[in-house]
Parts: sequence; structure tokens; C-alpha cells
Amino acid sequence: MSEQSGEALVAPRLRRGPTTIPRGVMMALAWLALMLAIAALADVIRPYPITAIDLGARLQPPFGFGGSARHLLGTDELGRDVLSRLFVSIRLSLLIAFGATTLGVLLGAFLGLVAAHLRGLAEQAILMLVDAQAALPFIILALSILAFFGNSLPLLTALLGLYGWERHARVARGLALGAGAQGYTVAVRQLGAGPWRLYLLHIVPNIAATLIVSATITFPEIILLESGLSFLGLGVQPPMSSLGNMVGYGRGYLSSAPWIVLAPSLVISLTTLAVSITGDWLRDRLDPTLG
Amino acid sequence: MSLLVLDQVHYAYPARHTLLGGRSKIRAVAGVSLALERGRTLGLVGESGCGKSTTGRLALGLIAPDAGCVAFGGEAMPAPGTAAWRALRARVQLVFQDPLGALDRRLAIGRQIAEPMVIHHLGTSDERTRRVAELLRAVGLSADLEARYPHQLSGGQRQRAVIARALATRPDLLVCDEPVSALDVSIQAQVVNLLADLQEEFGLTILFISHDLRLVRLVAHEVAVMYLGQIVEQGEPTAMFAAPAHPYSQALLAAVPNPQRRGPRALLAGEPPDPAARPTGCAFHPRCPIAVARCRGEAPALRPRADGRLVACHLADVDAASC
Amino acid sequence: MLGFVLRRLARAALTMLIVVAIAFAVLRLSADPATVILGPDAPPAAIAAFRHAWGLDRPLWMQFGFYIAALLDGDFGRSMINGATVLPLVLNRVPTTLSIMLPALLLAIGIGVPAGMFAALRRNTFADRAVMIAAVAGFTVPSFVLGLVLVLVFAVELGWLPSGGNDHWYSAILPIVTLGTGAGAVLARFTRSAMVEVLGQPYILTASAKGLLWRVVIRRHALPNAAIPLVTMIGFMVGGLLAGAVVTESVFSWPGLGRLMVTSVGSRDLAVVQCILLLVSLMMVASNLTVDLVYGLIDPRLRHGERGRL
Repeated sequence: MSEQSGEALVAPRLRRGPTTIPRGVMMALAWLALMLAIAALADVIRPYPITAIDLGARLQPPFGFGGSARHLLGTDELGRDVLSRLFVSIRLSLLIAFGATTLGVLLGAFLGLVAAHLRGLAEQAILMLVDAQAALPFIILALSILAFFGNSLPLLTALLGLYGWERHARVARGLALGAGAQGYTVAVRQLGAGPWRLYLLHIVPNIAATLIVSATITFPEIILLESGLSFLGLGVQPPMSSLGNMVGYGRGYLSSAPWIVLAPSLVISLTTLAVSITGDWLRDRLDPTLG
Repeated sequence: MSLLVLDQVHYAYPARHTLLGGRSKIRAVAGVSLALERGRTLGLVGESGCGKSTTGRLALGLIAPDAGCVAFGGEAMPAPGTAAWRALRARVQLVFQDPLGALDRRLAIGRQIAEPMVIHHLGTSDERTRRVAELLRAVGLSADLEARYPHQLSGGQRQRAVIARALATRPDLLVCDEPVSALDVSIQAQVVNLLADLQEEFGLTILFISHDLRLVRLVAHEVAVMYLGQIVEQGEPTAMFAAPAHPYSQALLAAVPNPQRRGPRALLAGEPPDPAARPTGCAFHPRCPIAVARCRGEAPALRPRADGRLVACHLADVDAASC
Repeated sequence: MLGFVLRRLARAALTMLIVVAIAFAVLRLSADPATVILGPDAPPAAIAAFRHAWGLDRPLWMQFGFYIAALLDGDFGRSMINGATVLPLVLNRVPTTLSIMLPALLLAIGIGVPAGMFAALRRNTFADRAVMIAAVAGFTVPSFVLGLVLVLVFAVELGWLPSGGNDHWYSAILPIVTLGTGAGAVLARFTRSAMVEVLGQPYILTASAKGLLWRVVIRRHALPNAAIPLVTMIGFMVGGLLAGAVVTESVFSWPGLGRLMVTSVGSRDLAVVQCILLLVSLMMVASNLTVDLVYGLIDPRLRHGERGRL
């Protein structure tokens, strides 16, 4: 019934010219793809189990610096293969970071939308919570909760999931208020739509892009936070291995075997750098008004 | 029986807190009464800030009046946001000023035109598809535009899409709030004529809100002029535009460029009004060229003249030609 | 103006109250407050007396009231490690932390702000990109990594500076640099974008069109306007520095608040943990309040009471 109209149908995003990805962003994306691949395949590609102790091969330097090809990144003080531990750590740290970021965005966006929709007392209460959270350096709060409640992995992830919720809430509330003040939300409400339809079908898809960008800002910060906590010995506990606690345990051998610290440190730095660069680029493309 | 009746409605916007805790209200609508007859168009004109948009929203029931009542089809308008109010939307629709803003930029317009039918559970999926094509035709758009997105259409096409959406549930009443102000002048007349045609075809009742007198003249059966939240004159357009009775209407009409006009124009003195600080007595008296002492003390009521024109002026029976 | 100050004070007080409520909730939900406050070795009689005095058998809201009263009284309990009263123990550490925090803040401002302005004035040139890349590296490299690298280079390899402790005045150098780098990097990015935005404003174009020398335009128009958001940013840095101090002090064994927090968490010395939580919150709330008030003073739009902003 509908004929070809002869013009290509363009997707909803407003295109501004050809999509060329800058070289830096390409490299960042490549690194992230590599990290994701390692995380997915960690158990398959690691040469050794992470707890395999080999006291005869302790503190061996990486291949090319005096070590053998059996341990490409050297070994630690118990003879465990650094490369294998690195792979597994990447997986765990990324999993925690993804889980926590998602939790934070969902929680924050939900509260922000609730505040924008209900207004009045509920909004004021949520805003006060946002203020209180923003007034507290997160690590202090995290440490307190870890002290009082212990640090199992689910608790750690849930705790990290609280990070940044107040920022997502502010963004979501601001966007929802802006959308609700005029334009299509008034129109759809005037059409007779109930609140669920309004939010799920109209408002959320329109603010999702901005929320995703907001998530790319907190994601690297969560990686840094988890690494920091694990470095202090208060995050991921052995025998589980995360990037942060590798650095923490390697610290005692900083002068004698720096590779134990440097390998995970490099991975942390490059990964957070890559996410930051990608996030900046995404932000410029999707929503220049943010940040 | 009138389709829509507003009876002495008042509405004030709560203004922001002042630093020391005082709170000034902005009385956007200060005692407006209107009745819309079926199948007819009432034009509501006035400058920005006169309260006409607010009146439109009151007519729709989007906001509830502080005083007075709104009745649709003989029954009181339900409170905004309630299920009854939502159900009533099938019969009352709004056409916005900003067509791009009124449409969700992420959805194709075919889906958006069908949305009211989905919300009110009208028709099967096939029936809706057919109706969308029908509506597109009715507003003068080709059926293959239904897959396009709002930003891919021109301003005029978007507004037609908004009108198509508004008609989807076969409403009785259409409130048009500055429907063509955002469009190019050349398109404006087209869309306004479209509204007139649709009215004839579907028996629509239209409340046409605009600041542009020339457009209102094209489409309205009756015109009401608003100033600072009140109706100051109301009557049949041709007669009113030929010989306005209220000093404000005279000034409004004088402001419309007219190459055939001879003689001096009626000009307004003073600043545009501040709704937060209403003058005493007649709201227009600070700027009125013929104001007398009585105008400052006593607010004039909207009264009918011998020829049916409604005017709110103490001096209305005086010969208007003396201005 | 007075209204503005009062409202800010009220908001700060309310925020503090919420934090205290959170601390109270954490305390009640997790452990027996008596053991936390009095220590696990306290005699049963003392515990019973405590429970009564704190109203632990009373409704929850009354307990909250007792809690606040105890806090205001300065009673934060006793450390499990050495039985000392907590509040003096914690307060003792504050100057040590401040002794690296404040210089770090100055370092961050001293390097970050000029770098950001430099980049803004030469935007889209190689210099701009170089500065921005350095800045991004500065805040994506974790502070503990930077600290360890600095220790590796300056303490282990070169032997110029000690790797930890606070025995000498120069022991503070590496911690200050570590702490200040991240903050400086963030500040550089922020300053650049604030400056770029200000430079894009019509009044800058007007000023230079009037014939003013470019550097006068910068000094008289761009800088003061860019300074306003900068002040708020610097206020937020305080929180970031407090958070950074936790990790940095651990890397360098610097005996400040951060280190105390970490060791207390590790040894489950809950009374100390709670005290630090509340104290740090108080510092943050006070700092934010100061920033708010200073902001209100220097932003002429707020000074003259444009109602929409308040």
C-alpha cells in the first residue's frame, strides 16, 4: 500500500554529516574491545590457574626482561603467573564495574523520574537525599558500610552501585522536568495517555541517550573506586583476584619485582582512559549540553 | 445546548517566592465566561500575556480553575489527570503552537497519529492503519509520509500531522493555540483554511486562539478580545473589525497594517501590562485614550449592546468615532 | 541577602541531619551499639546501663534523639584498639591530613588553572591538545598507581625522598604531588571548558571589537566571569581531596585521617569509623556551605537577588 518514496529512511538520530570516528577514539574502542574479549574468554585463554603456586619460579621477570616464555608477564612472590591473574582480574573488575554502573543508573534514573513526576514533598525528600549523598565523599561512606557489614562480593557490587546515583538522579530529573514542561509530553498527556505510557514509551527513550553518556562518566570512576578499595585490601578479597588487589599485593615487591604492580596498573589506567575518551566522544555526538 | 461553557473562571499562577517570603500571584484569567456552540469557531485574540493560552488550557481541562466552572457537553469537566479526564480526551483535542515540539522526535508520524486510537482502545490494528491513511489524506498529506520522522517534514507538514493526530479519535472540540504562529506566512493561510474545511467536513467545534487578527477573521464565526485576563469585547468578526467598540480593540485593529487606511491611527500609550500588578478598576485604564475618573475606580462588566456586541467599557455607548 | 544565607544554613543543617541519620541507621542495623561504643570487653553492667541510657529499649525515633545528644556531647565511644576515647583520637589526625590536603589544593589550583586557561586561549592547537591529554592522563591514572610509581622512581631508584612516614618535612612532597595531580588535572579540564565558554560569549567579542587589547579583554572580562564557576569547582575539590587522602595516606603511610580510616575498617574498630564518617561529613558540609556563600557573594546576579536563582 505504501510505495517507495524514493528517499532513504533516516534513523531517529539527527545525522550531522558523515560518521567518521577520530583515531584516538578508534584506539580507545579497540582497547575496550580487547578488554571485553579478555573478560569473556579469561578462563579459556589463561595459561595457568590463578592459584597455581610454583615456588620454584618465584618473582620471575616478564618475557624479554630476563624471564622465560612460560610466564609472559612474569610471576609473583608465590610463583603464580601474572598474565593469568591479569586476565581473570580484568574479568572480575569489569563485571563489577558494569554491574555497579547499571545499578547506579537504574536507581538514580528511577528516583529522578519519580521526583520529576510526583513533585511536592516526594521531590523535596529525594533532592535532600541527593544533596546529602553529594556532600559525602563516597569512599568514606563505602568504607563505613564495609566496616559495619563486611565485604562479600554482592555487597561490594551493590555498594559500588550506589556510586553516582545522585548524579544520574539529577540528570534524569532535569531531563524529565524539561520534557514535561512543554512539547511532546504535554501533547501525549493531552491525548489521554496515563503516566506509565508517558514515561516508558516517550520520556525514557528520549532521555536514554543522555543517561548512557552519564553512565560513561561514572563507569571509569567505579573502576578506580573498586581498584582503590581492593588495593587497600578492603574490596575484593582473595582468592578472588581483581586489578586493584593485584596492585595491593604486589606493593611489597615494588622494588624487587615491579612488574607485579605495573601490569595491572597499566591495564587500569588504559581502560579508564579508553572509557573516558569514548565517553567524551559520545557526549559530543549525542548531547553537547551535558558536562 | 453549548458544547463548551466557561462560567466566570479565574486562574492565577503562583509566582515565585520573593526574598522575604511574600508571594505574588499572577492572575492570568480574571473572570472569563465563554460559550462555544457546536460546529462553530470562536476566535480568542489578544497580546502575549493576556491570558488566552491559559483560557485555552482551562477550556481543555488541562488545569483546574481557581474559581468558576468549566462544563463540556453539559457536564462538569473532570479534574486533570484523573481517569475520567483522560477518557474525555477522545472528545477534546489540542493543536499546539510548536509542531516540532508537540511530536516525539523518535517516532514516525504514522505511529503518532495512531497513538490516540491506541490509548483509547479504538479499532483493530488494521482499522487504525486505514484511519491513519484516511487522516493523512484529510489534512492534505500523502499517505507515504506516515513512515517519516518529524524532523524530516517541513513546518507546514508537521502541523498538518499534529492536526491529523488531533482528529484521530473524532473529537467534538478542537482547541487551537496559536496553531500557525511558528509557520511561514505563506503557509499560515493554507493551514487555517484547512481547519475551516475540516470543520465543515467533520462538524468540529473550534476554539481558535491567536494574536493575529487577520487569521482569526478568516476562520471565526465569533471573536472575543482579551486583555489582562478578561474579555473586553466579543462579537461577530466582520462587524467588529469594521467598527470596534472597545478602545483596546480599536488599538489592536489599528496596529494591523492597512494600506487603505486614511486618517489618524489609534495608538496605545504606556507600557504593556504586568499581570502581577493589575491596575485598579478597569484593567485598561492606564493606557486608554478616553479614560475617565470612573474607569480607575470601577471595573466595567461585559454587557451586551443593542446590536448584540458584548463590550466591557463604561463609555461603550458613547460614539466610538470620537477617539 | 540575609534570606539567602539563612536558607543555605538551613539546607546545610538538614543535609548534616540526614548524614547523621544514615550513620545512625548503619549503626543500628549492623551491630550492637553498646559493643561498638563501649567496646567488646565492657562489663555486662556497663552495657546494660548504656542500653538504658541510650534508650535502646525505646522507640526508634527516641533512640535517634539520644544518639544525637550523645554526639553533641562529644561522646563517640571508645576505640577497640587501645580503649582511648575516639573523638580526641580522630581530631588529632586532622592537622596531619590537612598538612597534605591544603598544599595539594594549592598545587592543583596553581598548576591546573593556568594550564586550563593556557589551553583555552590556544584551543584546537597542538598545545591545547597536549595539555588536555596530560590532564586526562592525570585523572585516569589511579592515585595509588601514581603514588607507587613516584615511590619507585624517587625513593627506590633515585633515593632522593623517603617512601613513607612523616619524619621529615620533605616526606610530604610525594604525598602532596600524588594528591594534587588528580585534582589538578580535573581543574585543568574544567578551567579550559569554563574559559572556552566565556570566550564564546558575545560580550567578549564586543570588548575586543571596542578596540581593547586582547590581554586586557582577558583580564578584565574573561577571567572574572570564568572565576565564578571555578570557585564552585574548587569547593568540590575538597571532597575529592578528602577521598584521595584515604588512598594516598595508605600508599605513603602518612598518619592522617585517611590512614586511620583504613586501619580502623580493617580492624573493625567501628567507633572510630563512625566518628570519621561524621567528622568528614561535617567538614564537607561546612566546605560546601562556604562555597555556596562565597559564590553568592561574588556572583553579582545572586547578590542583587535575581529571584529565579535562589
